[in-house]
Amino acid sequence: MSFVTAYCHIDENLCSLNGEVLLRKNEETGETWFKQIYKALAIEYPKFYKMDLISQAGFLGSELIKKVNPLSAYADDEVALLFGNKQSSADTDIRFQESYLEKKTPSPSLFVYTLPNIVLGEIAIRNKWYGENMFVVLPKFTPEFFVRYSTILMQSGAEAVLGGWLSILEGKVEVFMFLIEKAGENGKSLNELLLTDYAGL
Amino acid sequence: MIYIGAEEIWSPLGQNCNGNFQAVAENRSGISLFPQAGFNGETLPLARITALPEKEKFGNLVERTLQNTIDKIDSAIVSSDRTIVIISSTKGDLDTDIRDPFGPAVATLLAKFSLAHEPLIVSNACISGVLAINAGRQLIASGFYDHAIVVGCDVVSNFVLYGFQSLFAVSAEACMPFDAARNGVTLGEGCASVVLSRDKSIYHDSPLVLYAGTSANDANHISGPSRTGEGLFRSVKKTLESNGISAGEIDFISAHGTATVFNDEMESIAFDRLGLNNVPLNSLKGYFGHTLGAAGVIETAISMQMMRKDLLVKSLGYQQSGTSKSLNMITDNRPAPLKVILKTASGFGGCNASLVFRTL
Repeated sequence: MSFVTAYCHIDENLCSLNGEVLLRKNEETGETWFKQIYKALAIEYPKFYKMDLISQAGFLGSELIKKVNPLSAYADDEVALLFGNKQSSADTDIRFQESYLEKKTPSPSLFVYTLPNIVLGEIAIRNKWYGENMFVVLPKFTPEFFVRYSTILMQSGAEAVLGGWLSILEGKVEVFMFLIEKAGENGKSLNELLLTDYAGL
Repeated sequence: MIYIGAEEIWSPLGQNCNGNFQAVAENRSGISLFPQAGFNGETLPLARITALPEKEKFGNLVERTLQNTIDKIDSAIVSSDRTIVIISSTKGDLDTDIRDPFGPAVATLLAKFSLAHEPLIVSNACISGVLAINAGRQLIASGFYDHAIVVGCDVVSNFVLYGFQSLFAVSAEACMPFDAARNGVTLGEGCASVVLSRDKSIYHDSPLVLYAGTSANDANHISGPSRTGEGLFRSVKKTLESNGISAGEIDFISAHGTATVFNDEMESIAFDRLGLNNVPLNSLKGYFGHTLGAAGVIETAISMQMMRKDLLVKSLGYQQSGTSKSLNMITDNRPAPLKVILKTASGFGGCNASLVFRTL
């Protein structure tokens, strides 16, 4: 048995945790939307500023979920990471391509983010997690796959799965992240309908 | 028990599994020099397929390799409702549509092979291939499917080549994995596929036995390997322990061995910590170049062939030890009974994965 014990969303204007709106984009500040969320979280992690948008989104989502559950009770290899999207790292791929086609200098700092699984590395580094990792590309958010594969991960050593849908391309943001645990006093039993309902995608 | 078989490969070395293995067994490399290949017009070594047009090469390779693999199994399996197709790739057909690098190729596969399910794409840097095979096995073991066809494919692009050049990670000569003079990767392109199944009778030729594999993150750096080999160490340890296999039972390690200074050093440290220094080991990058998302499947397929032929294949490009921990590099082909093989992979994002298979 496993439970969805926390979830969060980030879109172009809103950031919510367990269905409650936490923050709305302030158009006045001149700061990027993700930086506004970062500041609202009141954490000190300068590496955030080096990350591309998918990594920033996954990082912010994981920090939002840790507000509900700090996940500190788990051993360092017990939290598995399972993420997906439709367009892989296209948002950063376009920027890297511009760096050599238009600016005539291939940018190494962009190139290292031209893989969709880099966000898993960023979350692992932040939390010192050595668990299982997988990033998949699917034509749309597929609750069936996430329920099945989370169940597989929990049956093969993981005690929790932090996962979600990280869709970011040219200003469009569709982020849904969830935490699945074996023991879940405050959670609801994991199934496709629940994940579909929570995702709202 | 879950089986693995019907391995196929398309690469600069050949257009089917036999052709590829024959070339490898003759220690021929698919790497050659390409003038004007680099960002500044440098001549660079690459393992490129010149027998196919550049346009839509990714989809073309996936289709051809998949067809070759299907010819080696019960033909009803590919479109069965109990079959999932898993594609491992880092960049897909990026040159055709950077915003949707996999969509068109997947749509063609669905229609052409009448697949019952949308293929799953595993895009997890250089461990994609090993991870996709492990995921396929897990999906069968948990009863969601009876068969999984895993296809790994990546093609050489200016995008990736210029990127590796920007990191000063491209070797000026054909790559030299684990050698003292190694100085970076040689990029390659290719495609390979394997069929996993709970049913031995679907294979025309006898399959091998696939154990449950694992992955682990280094939690260290997104583009630099861990100095302690922690993630690779943990992944291999988990894979061996969860299957009750001891280090002494492994007959051969198909290592990742990209030929960058830091990656190969990291692997040597992890294997040393695992007590695997004396196990015969090679990297196949000297034959195929680094084929990124295809590498894990190509190298598993060649390792399966090595097991079928009981032949240890030379680690091409290696002459002199260049890692702080000693490894039992295979310096010349030699026959040896191969019953248990370990395949490993490591990649950007700090990811590591391993799998084990054995004779039937």
